[in-house]
Amino acid sequence: MIIRMAKVEIVGPKQDLLAALDLLHNRGIFQPDPQLLERVELARDDRLNTHVLNEHELHERSYFQNLYERVSTLLELLPETTDAISPLQSLPVMDLVDELVDQHLEKVREQDRILTDYRKEVEDQQRDLAFWQALEPLLADLPQDSNLELLGITIRDARQLQALEELLQQRTGGRCHISSTTTTDGALIGLVATDRQTAGNLHQALTDERIPEMSLPAEFANLTLAERIAALHERLKTATANCRRIETQLLELSHRWRPVYRRALVWLEERLTLYRATATAYTTRLCFIIQGWMEQAEVPGLQIDLSQAFAGRVVLEQLAILEEDLDQVPVMLRNPGYFAPFEILSRLLPLPKYSSYDPTPLLGLFFPVFFGMILGDIGYGLILLIISVFLAKRFAPQQLASDIGKVLGVASLYTIFFGFLYGELFGNLGETWLGLHAYWFDRGKDILPMAVFALTVGVVHILLGITLGALADLRRHQPRKALLKLAMLIVVLLSILAVVSWLYPQSWLNTGPLLIGVAILMPVMIAAEGLLAPLELLKTMGNIISYVRIMAIGFSSVLLAVVANRLGGMSGSIMVGILVATMLHAFNLLLGVFAPTVHALRLHYVEFFSKFLDLGGRRFEPWHKRPS
Amino acid sequence: MEKVWIAFAAALAIGLPAIATAWAQSRIGAAGAGTLAEKPELTGVIIILVAIPETMVILGFVVAAMILLM
Repeated sequence: MIIRMAKVEIVGPKQDLLAALDLLHNRGIFQPDPQLLERVELARDDRLNTHVLNEHELHERSYFQNLYERVSTLLELLPETTDAISPLQSLPVMDLVDELVDQHLEKVREQDRILTDYRKEVEDQQRDLAFWQALEPLLADLPQDSNLELLGITIRDARQLQALEELLQQRTGGRCHISSTTTTDGALIGLVATDRQTAGNLHQALTDERIPEMSLPAEFANLTLAERIAALHERLKTATANCRRIETQLLELSHRWRPVYRRALVWLEERLTLYRATATAYTTRLCFIIQGWMEQAEVPGLQIDLSQAFAGRVVLEQLAILEEDLDQVPVMLRNPGYFAPFEILSRLLPLPKYSSYDPTPLLGLFFPVFFGMILGDIGYGLILLIISVFLAKRFAPQQLASDIGKVLGVASLYTIFFGFLYGELFGNLGETWLGLHAYWFDRGKDILPMAVFALTVGVVHILLGITLGALADLRRHQPRKALLKLAMLIVVLLSILAVVSWLYPQSWLNTGPLLIGVAILMPVMIAAEGLLAPLELLKTMGNIISYVRIMAIGFSSVLLAVVANRLGGMSGSIMVGILVATMLHAFNLLLGVFAPTVHALRLHYVEFFSKFLDLGGRRFEPWHKRPS
Repeated sequence: MEKVWIAFAAALAIGLPAIATAWAQSRIGAAGAGTLAEKPELTGVIIILVAIPETMVILGFVVAAMILLM
């Protein structure tokens, strides 16, 4: 249901504004609405203006803003830890934070810079090492000659290897040898061997062709390949150890100071929120005024809290909700026990307006019935009941899964109930094995009676919708609209009775007078609502006919179940038959969950709710403290 | 011969709305997929929107069943 809201005005001395805002922020039950004051006569008074911070407050806000930014930067640089937020009192800690944050920021920035350098060095060493280690096996194929110059190159495209080899042979007069391999990360690399006299030509050729050579630190130049690899290993070990050392230092600092800085950041955030919130207040020379919304039931409690906290200086007064306020009243939905899980279905729609209805209780009443009417099978119902109990128990802490389980549970009970009425257990299996028979309709045969029943359900549902729409119009003080809806209701009823009397003539039901009634009311409706009135009537008839889907989808579900049983029986083998029937029934059950859900919802959202629900309400979003 | 015409009429009664529904659902489905890329919270609404044109094929199915059975 839609919770009853109160429009309230809080008034007090100007110097208590921040403290009053803090109290409201802590209670988390009040939503300020500065636009309320703009609309009233009071705002035209020159003495009433939006609150502007004084010099001291501006200075304080600027100081806190600056501190907030420094603490945020520090927390971004410090490594994450799982330490809980510090329980220290915020305000006394703030001076210490202000003193220390710059020192810590400088230290952490420096360590972060060093760490970045070390990490880059580790990356480079790892790449070099992978390169030279991959080349090591190629070295075994080369003659041991001190006159030999070895160059490592990276080859971008494997298809160009042949052309590269020919080019280098040409530039060095055939005095080089190239062999290739791939590194552990998949890059293609090559080892070019030549004599020291030709090395200059080779370097030039590689430069001309823009082929990257693997460069090494100068001190490695005279080392053999095995020595180079050992030296690179040693360098990598040192760089990695340096990284670890700096990371440990940063982590230690983080363990020690992060909880304190997080506490400070939360406090600063709240404080700055309060300064921003002052923009929602209006002030005179001496007083402040805040208007907004809160739950009606919470008003007395907040009145007492304000009175105690400010010794009666700040007062809360409840104001009347005017007709022009109705579209602005924020909406909060809250439903008791049985209906609460059905909010997962009503949340698919935008919020209703305050003067409209909460669709949740109506969904709670009708959705499971429609679901049961469509699926209507004892076997499927029992399986769904087991699934729903599992969902509700196993996922109890997870609200969504638990709610789905509860809704499915209620729907499955109705499925079992209608299954008894239709005499269905896995289609016609109950009739064949257990002698079950239909107490009401045999859906496989009684197509027309079932269609008439579905349409009757539609008539009742739609007429209820029109009645609720008329009542909502009365609540909004729009009697003309309410009367039109009432006329529509009578015309629909008379039209349906006329069709019934034509199809099934009864001595007590004459078509003539019914049509005369329609003929009298239609011009009245056209005069009141224009040419849209007949269209609205046609639309309503279309809405009612749409309910025939209750029969149609149910009928297709029965036929699928019967087909599953017949195919299972035709296989000639008990095991294969059971397997085939189980698979088809599982498929039918899957459809049997999806189709009734979607179509029962569609009947509500499109057909039923369009008759009375006014959507587009504002969500009630009170000020509240962010959980730390 | 009459049975052939009855069967043909029933086939038309469900076949044509089925094509119309498929076409409408393909358009709504494509638009819905685009919407969901930006607003995943509209999943429920999109499912309902995709189901709306099914009215055509459902009514076609009812008419076809009545042609065959009455």
